[in-house]
Amino acid sequence: MAAGCFHFAGGIQAKRSTHGAFVDARLRLHYTMGGKSDVGAVALKIWESGLHVDSTATRPAAFGSELGQQARAAPSWYRGRQGRRLREMLLAYSFLAPAFIIIGLFGLFPLAFAAYESTLRGLNKIVGSYDGLGNYVKAIDNLIYILTFWIAAALIYYAARTIAQAIREHREEQTDALRWVLPGFLTAIGAALFARFVFILLPEMLLIPSKLRGQANTQEAFRSLVVETWWLPKVQVALWVAVVLLAAGAAWGLHVNRRTARDSREPVYFMPFFSAGIGLTGGAALLWLTWQEINAAYAEALEEGVGLEIWSQIVTISAGFLLLLVAWGLWESAGQRSSNTGMALRLVGAVALMAGAWVLIAELPRVVNAGDEDWWNGLMATVFYVMGTVPIQLGLALILAALLFQKIRGQTLFRVLYFLPYVAPFVGTAAVFRIIFSNRPTAPLNGLLDLFGAEPLLWLSEPAGIIEMITGGRFDLGPILSGPSLALVAIMLYGIWTYVGFDTVIFLAGLGAIPNELYEVADIDGAGGWAQFRHVTLPLLSPTIYFLSLYAVIGTFKAFNHIFVLREAAALGTTDTASIVIFQAFKRDTRYGYASALAILLLIIIMVITLVNNRIASRRVFYG
Amino acid sequence: MASDAVAGRAVGARLVDPATRRAAFNKLLIYAVLVFGAVVSVLPFLYTVSVSLMNLTEATGGRALPTTPQWSNYVEAWHDAQFSLYFMNSVKITLISVGGALVFCALAAYAFAQMEFPGKSFLFTLLLSTLMLPEAITWVPNFITVSWLGRISPVPWLNNWPSLTIPFMASAFGIFLLRQFFQQIPRELWDSAQIDGSGHLRYLLRVVLPLSSAAVMTLVLFGFVGAWNALAWPILVTTTPDWRPISYGLLSFLDEAGALLHLQMAGAIITMLPIVVLYFFTQRHFIEGIATTGLKG
Repeated sequence: MAAGCFHFAGGIQAKRSTHGAFVDARLRLHYTMGGKSDVGAVALKIWESGLHVDSTATRPAAFGSELGQQARAAPSWYRGRQGRRLREMLLAYSFLAPAFIIIGLFGLFPLAFAAYESTLRGLNKIVGSYDGLGNYVKAIDNLIYILTFWIAAALIYYAARTIAQAIREHREEQTDALRWVLPGFLTAIGAALFARFVFILLPEMLLIPSKLRGQANTQEAFRSLVVETWWLPKVQVALWVAVVLLAAGAAWGLHVNRRTARDSREPVYFMPFFSAGIGLTGGAALLWLTWQEINAAYAEALEEGVGLEIWSQIVTISAGFLLLLVAWGLWESAGQRSSNTGMALRLVGAVALMAGAWVLIAELPRVVNAGDEDWWNGLMATVFYVMGTVPIQLGLALILAALLFQKIRGQTLFRVLYFLPYVAPFVGTAAVFRIIFSNRPTAPLNGLLDLFGAEPLLWLSEPAGIIEMITGGRFDLGPILSGPSLALVAIMLYGIWTYVGFDTVIFLAGLGAIPNELYEVADIDGAGGWAQFRHVTLPLLSPTIYFLSLYAVIGTFKAFNHIFVLREAAALGTTDTASIVIFQAFKRDTRYGYASALAILLLIIIMVITLVNNRIASRRVFYG
Repeated sequence: MASDAVAGRAVGARLVDPATRRAAFNKLLIYAVLVFGAVVSVLPFLYTVSVSLMNLTEATGGRALPTTPQWSNYVEAWHDAQFSLYFMNSVKITLISVGGALVFCALAAYAFAQMEFPGKSFLFTLLLSTLMLPEAITWVPNFITVSWLGRISPVPWLNNWPSLTIPFMASAFGIFLLRQFFQQIPRELWDSAQIDGSGHLRYLLRVVLPLSSAAVMTLVLFGFVGAWNALAWPILVTTTPDWRPISYGLLSFLDEAGALLHLQMAGAIITMLPIVVLYFFTQRHFIEGIATTGLKG
């Protein structure tokens, strides 16, 4: 480490001096040859193209020797334009290194680690036996096979589409895209093999604590076992195969890149082929895993003598989703056709929609019932939370921002006050709301109810759904229709209270970015306040609205702190959103593998929401 | 615009003209809504202050204001909840993690904004993709990583500062925020810095960082708030109070204090006060930082 730092400092020193000299020389060239522009231009061109300065004849001798000395001091690869680019590259990588080591270790590696951990069985143990998709089956039953199958299919489809597009451009626009195939694929395979290396190394490293059992559990023993594990032949082979392939792919890519003429505006096709390669290998691996797992499940069922219906469920549920997709596509395309075709398409679309929905309604609940009740309840609570907070929160914030924007006296003060709930530490404000929403009859909200002559409520300790409470429990509404529990509604109110100010501030910034001329034009056209808001403000604000709604939805799926503080045991888990369920599986139940599986499912949900949002936004959002 | 026209007219005409009267009424309505919003935002804080100054019977009795302010509640809460320990812990954690974040994020952001190297867009995309990861997915792996690292490094990680600070010393958000500002610095400045014989590191320290002090300030503030708010991760990696940060400290105090509402609220005020004071002094940076980064999100 110390040696690295030293080297790093030395590099900067050398860089600084040569840089300075170059620029100096360039300026002096300008200065001395100011009169004869053609000669100066030639000299500059030669200097720019990276030839050695002392091999040109157009340069006055006076500072040629100076530059020569400068150049002689450094090795050949360190000089000239190539050397400068190399030095800048090395310096840039050393600037990035610390941040990327930390983010890689605590931000990216956990993804692979969680994926690995989620395949392990075992309670209260870090290393359990391999269980395949067992944890996922526990959580969402057979739906996981459908999920992995369709993710694999989507990856392969994405790869195929990317390759097809590159080939089309290769044909149509005479670009030489195909020479990027090999470097891209090589690097992708290298990356996949690197992932394989991680999955070989991880279990060995995780076994170390159990190897030490019964021995002197010292740090030295632990460290020597770590070193021993690192030098295991299979670990080393896996590592070097991956490194060699990665290096070969990267070197080939750089080579191709160098052969491409600088001035040709040909795009670099490395990323498309690289991601296509990743998609193909990832998709193939997932398909293989799914196949193995389904076979294993059937073998197990055969042994126990029970019937399994994985395949039929996969087919029916997939068909249901496909029908929904088809219906959506038809509905969308109907808008672009002439009225008769459009009507027909919409009819077909509606039929497909109903058929798909019917299949799903018939099949999905059976799968859901077989999964983990806590997890499904957590997802339901999260969805309730999203639907109950995001629209209200954005609506209120939009109103406040629009009002604040009207040249109001004390605008800054209002903004500061609105923003306060968001800035104040969550645990502190949640502690206050615990008392405000307390079930004591003398608590603030119950006191308010008492003023109106109403009975006190349990608030945060009330597990009953609000619709159930409003209807007085006369009907058996089932878990979905009875709505979020009153406890969850109280937490939603807290969430709205916290985030309205944040949304208002961002809306205000969005409003400030709308050019004033548009309003003046609208004024001249005789548009009133509401018409201006509807036809000028809202469309131009749509990127902000889109950003905020995506941010709020994803934020809800991630939400933890305030819910954790506000949850009461008496609410019987009706307030536990997805993140809380994961936390409890990990911390309270110490089911490491299961918690990891749930976290991966949460990630998949967030990714799907983001993708769908992007698709919708690309059509509906108006970027001025 | 309408209000300007109104202001230009004679005061006497204002009450007579129905159009101006309607404008004045609208203005009043707007202020009423805005003031109502402000009251809702601030009332819980005022209620906290009020309860924190009550005695026990007043606090549980549902009164709005204390008869005589009990300032001793703060002293009691401070001692009962070991707030002096938690407070210092949080200050130390914040200083270490924000300091590290500043150095590492500034270096990386500078490389992304002002330097050329192969793989730049790939690395940047990789970096931004980490923003999408939910915190929940890192809990199990990072807990294992941290306990494992603690066994090979000279300092223990669990129940100690490394596990609470090192994972937060670099964040995609921080790098992104600084890069947005660094990119706006004109290229000519770098050219002239080169003429003066300056290298990248000196240019970053002497020119780029001072010019983007607003972004640096925002990063520091967010780091401060983030460290102060941290809850899930400290619960996982601290089992003793030695390094327990203040949010977790307050949460455990809330459970211990049980029915002593006045002490709970005093604890809440103690926890919130530093951030709220900091916010009132730097609210411009806070809000503008949120507005600029949020919009580009």
